[in-house]
Amino acid sequence: MTSAADLMDPAALQAAFRAQGYVAGDALATALRLVPALQKPLLLEGPAGVGKTEAAKTLALSLGTRLIRLQCYEGLDAQAALYEWNYARQLLYLRSAEIGGGRVDDDELYGERFLMARPLLQAIQQEVAPVLLIDEIDRADDAFEAFLLELLAEWQITVPELGTIPARTRPHTILTSNRSRELSDALRRRCLYHWVEYPTARQELEIVQARLPGIDAALARQVTDAVHALRALPLGKPPGVAETLDWAAALLCLHRDHLDAESIEATLGAVLKLREDQLLAAPTLRGVAGRGVAGRAEAG
Amino acid sequence: MNGHLPAALSAQITTFVIRLRTRHGFLVGPGEAGDALRAAGMVDVLSKRQLRDALRAVLIAQPEQGRIFDHEFNTFFRAEGSPPPPELPPLLPETEAPGAEQETETSPKKQQEGEGQAPAPAPPGPGEEPELTTVKAQPQGESKEDADDSGGDFQTVETRLSPNAGAGGEVRSEDGDLRELLRAASALIRAVELGRSRRLKPLARGPKLDARRTLRAAARTAGDPALLRWLGRPRRSPRFLLVLDGSRSMGRDAGLLLRFAQALSLRTRRVEVYAFSTGLTRLTPHLRRALPGQPLTLPDLGEAWGGGTRIGENLLQLARQERERVNRDTLVLILSDGLDTGEPEVLERALRDLKARAGRVIWLSPLAALPGYQPVQRAIKAALPHLDALLPAGSMEDLQRLGRRLQQRN
Repeated sequence: MTSAADLMDPAALQAAFRAQGYVAGDALATALRLVPALQKPLLLEGPAGVGKTEAAKTLALSLGTRLIRLQCYEGLDAQAALYEWNYARQLLYLRSAEIGGGRVDDDELYGERFLMARPLLQAIQQEVAPVLLIDEIDRADDAFEAFLLELLAEWQITVPELGTIPARTRPHTILTSNRSRELSDALRRRCLYHWVEYPTARQELEIVQARLPGIDAALARQVTDAVHALRALPLGKPPGVAETLDWAAALLCLHRDHLDAESIEATLGAVLKLREDQLLAAPTLRGVAGRGVAGRAEAG
Repeated sequence: MNGHLPAALSAQITTFVIRLRTRHGFLVGPGEAGDALRAAGMVDVLSKRQLRDALRAVLIAQPEQGRIFDHEFNTFFRAEGSPPPPELPPLLPETEAPGAEQETETSPKKQQEGEGQAPAPAPPGPGEEPELTTVKAQPQGESKEDADDSGGDFQTVETRLSPNAGAGGEVRSEDGDLRELLRAASALIRAVELGRSRRLKPLARGPKLDARRTLRAAARTAGDPALLRWLGRPRRSPRFLLVLDGSRSMGRDAGLLLRFAQALSLRTRRVEVYAFSTGLTRLTPHLRRALPGQPLTLPDLGEAWGGGTRIGENLLQLARQERERVNRDTLVLILSDGLDTGEPEVLERALRDLKARAGRVIWLSPLAALPGYQPVQRAIKAALPHLDALLPAGSMEDLQRLGRRLQQRN
C-alpha cells in the first residue's frame, strides 16, 4: 500500500501505475499527482477508450484506497447521486411513534439514521480519502453539473432537512468526459484539466505487453502498428486502447502468433465495431496482413 | 510548499497567468494563479518539462487551449540568451469579456482543409514539443492573403460611410399584420416539440410516487400515507435565440422579420433577440417594452442596423456572449440572406460553437424563397453543414408555414 505522499514524484507514480499494468505518460502522471497535492478534482477528456476511467481505477489501486464510482446519465438527480431518505423506515418510525403514543420529533425523523448515502455523500464521509470517479459527466445535464459545484469547490453537501455535511476527508476526484456535450465554464474552472490522447505506437506496445504478459512480442507490435494505421483513417469509431487490448487478447485466445488475412477476418469485430468502418479499413488491413505474412516468412 | 519557490519564479508565474488571461482569454484568476504556484512548488522547477506539465494541468480548461499554452510557455520560460520564438499574436483584444476562452486559434479541421500551411494534429498531444508557426494562430479574419484582406477592409469602410450605416432610428411596423404574425409565432412554438425532460419534478399527477413529499404529508396523518404525492417528467419548453440581419441587403425583409421577432417575444418570455450588420446589439429589452400594435421604435442601433454584413464575427461574438444560456432546449434562428463580407471560416466556427450547445440551429433566408434558389453564397455554403435546416422567409406566408416546415423535418 502506498500513501499519497509516496506518489509525490511523477516517476514514482508512473512506476506504481506500471505495476498495475497502466502506462501513464509524463503529463498525465503530473496531472494525477497534482490531484492529492492541490486537493482539486481532475477533469480528463479525450476520445473513448483511451483509459480515462482506467486511470482513476489505477489511482485507487496505487493509493491502496477505495474507489467510489458515479456513472452519470441524463436526468441523474440528487437522490441518486448525493443522498436519499429511507422512506420505508421513516414510515415505520412514524407508525410506531403513533402506536407508542410518543411525539414525532422532526429532528429524529430527518436524522442521520434515516439517511442513505449515495456515492457522492459516501465519498466525503470516508476516514481515508477514497478516489471518487465521476464517470462521463457529459452525459448528465446542466442541472446536475450545478449540484456538483458545491461539492467540488467547498467539499460539503447540503441536505435541507439536516444542514451542511462537511467532508471528513477530501476524496481524490477524477471526472471524465467524452465531450458529447460542452461542460459549463464554472465546472471547468473548479478542475485541473488534462486531455488524454491516444498513446504513441511505442507506448501502446508497452501497454499491450503490460496487460497481456504472455503475448508474443512480434504479434504485439503487429497489432499496435495495425491499430495505428487504422486510427489514421477517417473512421466513424476509431479503435481505442481498449479495442487494441481486446484484439490482442482475441488473437491470443485463438492461438494466433501473427496477423494474416484469415486471423484478421476472424477477429475484426474486436477492433472495428461499425460495418462501414470495416469496409473502409479493408484495404489498409490487407496491407497489414501482407506485411505480417512477409515478416513471418523472413523470420522463418 | 511554495516556500521553496524562488521569489523571481513566483513573480514570473503570476505574470504568465495574467498574460494567458489578457492575451488569450483563458478563464484564470488569482485562484488559479495560487494553484499554479502551489503546483510549481510540487515539481522539480529546474525541469522545464515538469513545470510545463504541472502548469498546463492547472491553467487550461479546454483541449484547444493546450497548443496556445505550450507556445506561450515556451516563449515565456525560454532559456536566457536563446532567441525568442516567433510571437504569437494575441487572440483577443485586451478588453475582451470573460467567457471568451474558446476564442482559440483556427480549428484543426479548418487547418486541414485550409491552405495547408500548417498541418496540425487534432487536439494537443500532451508533452509534445509544440512547433508553432504564427500562421496557425492568426486571429480570426486576418489569416487570408493580403489581396483578400484589403478587399474585405474596403467593404467595411464603404459600409461605414454609407448613408444608412449607423443611422438606426425608427423601424415602422405596417399595421394590420400583427395578428397573422402572432399566429405564425404560436405555430412555431407548437411545432418545436422537445419532448419531456428526463428529470423528475413534483407534479399534481404523475407516473411516479414522490416518496419524500408523501412522507412529509404522512407525518401529519400519524404515519398513514393517505395523501400521495407524485413525480413526473415535465415538458421541455423551448427557448429561442433570434439573430436578425439588419444589413442593407436585407431591405424590407428585415422589417418583417423584426416584427416577427416581436410577435414571438409577445408569445413567449423565453426569447432573446439580437440584431447585427457590422456590429451586434441585443434587442430583447426594446421588443419587450414595445406596445403591441404600435409602430416599433428602436433606439439608435448604431452598427447593428442598415450597414454591411459581418455575419461570422457577429455570430461568434453572440456565441460567446450567450454561451452559458444556450443549451439543448435552445432553438437558434438566424434570419439573414447570407450575403456576407466576412470570412466564411469565421462563420463556420461560430456555427459549430452554437451547434455544439444548442438544440437546433435554423437559418431563415429571404433569398431561399425565390424560385430556383441554390445555396451557393459563400456564407451559406460554409454554414450549411452545421445547420439543421435552411428555410425560406421572404413573406408572411413563409413565416406562417415555418412551424409546419420544422415539424416535417422532425
